Amino acid sequence: MSAAISVPHHTLKESPNSRAIEIGDWVITARTNPISNAGELDSLQANVGGIPLPEMTFGNNSLELKHNASGWQCLFDTEEALKGVKNGELAEGDGGVKVGYADAWLKSRTGPSSELPMPKTVATKPYDWTYTTVYAGHQMSSNPILWQLADLDNPSHTIPLAELTRQDPILFYAEIPLYEDELHDNGSSHILVRIRVMPTCFFILSRFTLRVDNVLFRTYDTRIYHSFTSSLPLVVRETSGWEAPYDWVKRRLPKREDLTPLTDATWVAKVLTEMPSEVSQQAGAGTKWRGLGTRMEVAVLKRPEGDA
Amino acid sequence: MPSDLDRQIEQLHRCEPISEEDVKKLCIKAREILIEEANVQTVDAPVTICGDIHGQFWDMVELFKVGGFCPETNYLFMGDFVDRGFYSVETFLLLLALKVRYPERITLIRGNHESRQITQVYGFYDECQRKYGSSNVWRWCCEVFDYLALGAIVDGRVFCVHGGLSPNLQGIDQIRAIDRKQEVPHDGPMCDLLWSDPDEISGWGLSPRGAGFLFGADITRRFAHDNAIDLIARAHQLAMEGYKLMFERTIVTVWSAPNYCYRCGNVASILELDENLAQDYKVFAHAPSDVRSIPAKRPPADYFL
Repeated sequence: MSAAISVPHHTLKESPNSRAIEIGDWVITARTNPISNAGELDSLQANVGGIPLPEMTFGNNSLELKHNASGWQCLFDTEEALKGVKNGELAEGDGGVKVGYADAWLKSRTGPSSELPMPKTVATKPYDWTYTTVYAGHQMSSNPILWQLADLDNPSHTIPLAELTRQDPILFYAEIPLYEDELHDNGSSHILVRIRVMPTCFFILSRFTLRVDNVLFRTYDTRIYHSFTSSLPLVVRETSGWEAPYDWVKRRLPKREDLTPLTDATWVAKVLTEMPSEVSQQAGAGTKWRGLGTRMEVAVLKRPEGDA
Repeated sequence: MPSDLDRQIEQLHRCEPISEEDVKKLCIKAREILIEEANVQTVDAPVTICGDIHGQFWDMVELFKVGGFCPETNYLFMGDFVDRGFYSVETFLLLLALKVRYPERITLIRGNHESRQITQVYGFYDECQRKYGSSNVWRWCCEVFDYLALGAIVDGRVFCVHGGLSPNLQGIDQIRAIDRKQEVPHDGPMCDLLWSDPDEISGWGLSPRGAGFLFGADITRRFAHDNAIDLIARAHQLAMEGYKLMFERTIVTVWSAPNYCYRCGNVASILELDENLAQDYKVFAHAPSDVRSIPAKRPPADYFL
């Protein structure tokens, strides 16, 4: 099958911490670096409103897409992803949760039977400690495109699974972690951006995965697809959020005692997406998180005005 | 026994697991030694203090190159030996074999990962299953975890603990009263010692997670003053520069897992205390990546959907 695919001309560039591909009208650059150092963390923290940063913050990582013909530029980076994390008291729709044993813990300190006097505590900065974000990349250009809801009857307004499952050669591949936090051993929160450039298209998956032990699982995916062969330079974007109570996911473990699949974002996403959507995209884990559901959008890359 | 043990140490030092039968014997012997130790174990300087290792065996070998091997150097490891890295089995068993061979030369205190619940999620359980085909080794190791000391005090002046302080423990003597031989509880002072963090606040703070304490500079200074100590050494939090001193050098975080999880790119450190308790932080980088089976930096291309 793949022998039938002709591989278009493209150029790869590589340095230790960055790789790029030029293909057709596109320049795509993936930057992967160590986590930020203390100085970088201080300035990043100031830029995102002072929230404590995730334990592993890859502040110098990014995925950049540049469409030369239209000047459109799209970026996935850590700072903007963190700006999507709620800073302040959590409200309706933010999907805030506490760790599984929070009630028991508090009761042990404050309940009538408590032998452990609770100390007077000072207020600590309120923020979403789960680092949940619905960040779907952001635009850089002075010529931003407008995402419009996809037309379900238009076959080009979809992400074609048949094309993406075909084992065509992968011309360019990158995995770019933006941040990761183990939530103090109460679970895990991370966002990983992946891209593959194929002879006929590019495809991006940015996946946020949250596990709060004994509480819930949450996944937020952003997929971006562009076909090099479409007559209009069309970009398709699908954003989806799922959530389910921890035990519902845990019940689907292949081996009951071995909990390690619960740390595998791909396995978790598979379980969540295989649940009926009334469960994992509407009811969720009962947090009323606004990220639940799926949205399909498209945008046409246009030349800047007067440039035609 | 010593000759068997020396052979096991040699084998483990090559990152080769020892037989299930040997693990069983080693764990029984270790428990006999650990049961005699105090909740806050007394240690004499000079000693080298280490933070989290997390199964990064070859990086621990680097650590021993930098600090000297045991028994030539006295060591104090502040917990989190297992989980996340690829060699939790070899890492913990080597430390345990050294403990049994040289009980006066090496002190192991408990981290929050030395727990049944945590190791079932973060890799140690799975690794034992893979390497031994059963959960016996995991079970025996967890039994040893229950006997590990909760803290240590070096020459009466440097208090070492995995996480931090507890609002219910004003004095080190109160720690001695805890019944430590159990799974790490979800609340109470024993939990606090393994889980709490220093923070830029004054007084005690509640973690936004809904459980767990943060403690400020005033709390740290008062604890140091009331217990006549100069320094609190703790681990538990990643420090990009290998260690982090806070609150006018009354507390330090020591982190000993370089390139944490094989991808953070951080350096690690160990804290050498000489006979006068002068502090020397030795910083080191991760083992060369051509050493066996450390995953390549580039992930293989994947037809993700």
